[in-house]
Amino acid sequence: MGIARGVIITALFGFVLWVLIPIYVPRPSFIPGFAPPPDMWPRTVSIIGMVLGLLLLGLSLSKKTQAIADPEDAGSIRGDTPLPTLLLRFGWSVLAFALFVAAVSLLGFLLASILLLVAMLVLTGYWRNRWVALIVAVALPLLLYLFFSSALNTRFPTGSLLRALGV
Amino acid sequence: MLNDLLIAFQAVATFENFLIMAAGIWGGVIIGAIPGMTGTMAVTLALPFTFYMQPIPSILLLVALYKGSTYGGSVSAILIKTPGTASAACTTLDGYPLARQGKAGKALNMALYSSCTGDFISNISLIFIAAPLALLALRIGPPEYFMLMVFALTTVAGVSGRSLLLGLVSACLGLLLATVGEDMYGSFRFDLTVDMQGGLAVAPVLIGLFAIPELLKIVVFRNTEAQKPMQLGDNKVTRAELRRSLKSMLKGSMIGVVMGAIPGIGPSAAAFSSYGEAQRSSKHRENFGKGEVEGIAASESANNGCCGSTMIPLLALGVPGDVITGVMLGAFMIHGMTPGPMLFENNLHEVYMLFIGMLFSSILLFGAGKATMRFFSHISRIPPGLMAPIVLILCLFGIFSISNSMYDVIVLLAMGVFGFFMFLFAIPAAPFLIAFILGPMLEENLRRALAISRGDPSILVSSPITWLFASLAVFVIVITIRQQLKKAKA
Repeated sequence: MGIARGVIITALFGFVLWVLIPIYVPRPSFIPGFAPPPDMWPRTVSIIGMVLGLLLLGLSLSKKTQAIADPEDAGSIRGDTPLPTLLLRFGWSVLAFALFVAAVSLLGFLLASILLLVAMLVLTGYWRNRWVALIVAVALPLLLYLFFSSALNTRFPTGSLLRALGV
Repeated sequence: MLNDLLIAFQAVATFENFLIMAAGIWGGVIIGAIPGMTGTMAVTLALPFTFYMQPIPSILLLVALYKGSTYGGSVSAILIKTPGTASAACTTLDGYPLARQGKAGKALNMALYSSCTGDFISNISLIFIAAPLALLALRIGPPEYFMLMVFALTTVAGVSGRSLLLGLVSACLGLLLATVGEDMYGSFRFDLTVDMQGGLAVAPVLIGLFAIPELLKIVVFRNTEAQKPMQLGDNKVTRAELRRSLKSMLKGSMIGVVMGAIPGIGPSAAAFSSYGEAQRSSKHRENFGKGEVEGIAASESANNGCCGSTMIPLLALGVPGDVITGVMLGAFMIHGMTPGPMLFENNLHEVYMLFIGMLFSSILLFGAGKATMRFFSHISRIPPGLMAPIVLILCLFGIFSISNSMYDVIVLLAMGVFGFFMFLFAIPAAPFLIAFILGPMLEENLRRALAISRGDPSILVSSPITWLFASLAVFVIVITIRQQLKKAKA
């Protein structure tokens, strides 16, 4: 994992330094006094980050120094589960998050939260206890919705679909 | 000062404040007792609620949650060998064996006595050390502040993970993310969307980074085996045991105070140092690790001993010592108070109210701990597979309520995924967060210092104070590298 990590960290900071900063950190035409420009700090941090990434990469290449760069055993984190299964579970979780964000404008915050909670309970494997999971999935968002709406006056999105249906 | 403290005492001693502190302590103890839920989470989840409260009650609520969760972490550590918070990890060494012997009540009682003692001593230290330190800090200018923050970041990067390099990478990522939005001269940086021109708020970044990865770990690795709690015995701590542990308790409290006051060290390191010292100096050192009450006293007094003293650098210098005080820094700023030397000039009454409130909370901690001992085992029974999704929903509602905007919710979820990748690459999250919080101040002080010196970087090492902090940063790096080289060789 050490080599891959070193490469990814170096690439990430390199991308920020050579792609993002030139496009998204413009230098103003006039800078008062001797004040350093806005891109000075992000550039400095990106360069330090790249050096650290390269250092990690270099240390990972030698068996003698590998333990310094990679103290954590990657295998112990992953366990025996095959990588495709782990990636699939992760993919489902990210998809659930994305669908939640998309569903808020359509179904409203409350209903989208209930659906997300159901999805996450299925993904964590707790859905085996169907009745408990179902009660929690409906009751918790409802209670929170009522609490935040009434006590803190939060205006949660109601959803265009439900509005169109007159709910 | 005494007169000011008496006035503050009158202001704090209201039913409303006691209720808020009791709720904070109670909530913190319960959250801390649940494996996987940390004090950081408790404090960050409560942050949105504080927006609608008066400044001092809101800070007292966060402090009470912090103290409660620090003690609460020992409960699941003792009962099911699963520390509710990282700082309670040391308590498992003797707490769990004692519980296995059917003396869980004794272990929990000793943890409570030690936590309250450490907490009280820590609060007293805060009252008498914070103000002099603030006076000293008034002499600190932009170059000194910059070096102090570099030192704080180095310390956090060095002690919060197994690798200094990964800690520094984490800090760089945090510093970079902190640059998103408007800079000090009004130009926008990394504004990929219009929403990003406002930058990234602390709360969604913080909660996303700590709470959401826990859920993703459970989903991806499916480590949901429920651990059954043991029955609580009604064993009491005898006077002889209390007398025997008193030395370790007092020593642990002082270790906690000193280590808590240094930015980045935190309660986990304090607990282990105190445990090591107690073991070294005890007459019963052979019993350590087998159920020695002195071991519990040492670790618990040290981790709670940090609670008050971590507020010293925050209040006096405006530098958060750990993640929780980082959140508290945000809470202070939300309420228009800027921690640092000027806090003692502009908000002295509020500072004394905070001190008095913290002393009260030590007493409340004792009451809450005693009252909730039997209840804990039931809370700890909630399986992570149910608890983690519940936490996610709490986070979503809490974050949305802060700004009434889906942007913060998206930031929360995105940071959760980012935090999970950091976990996969064994990159510690604490340096990232401290860097994200300190980043704007660090940059501002650097740019101010360079503007003052007309671009000459030698200003950063121009005074004895800058040299002191620079030397300390180098010292921390050298010591950490040495330790890691030793470990690598072993």
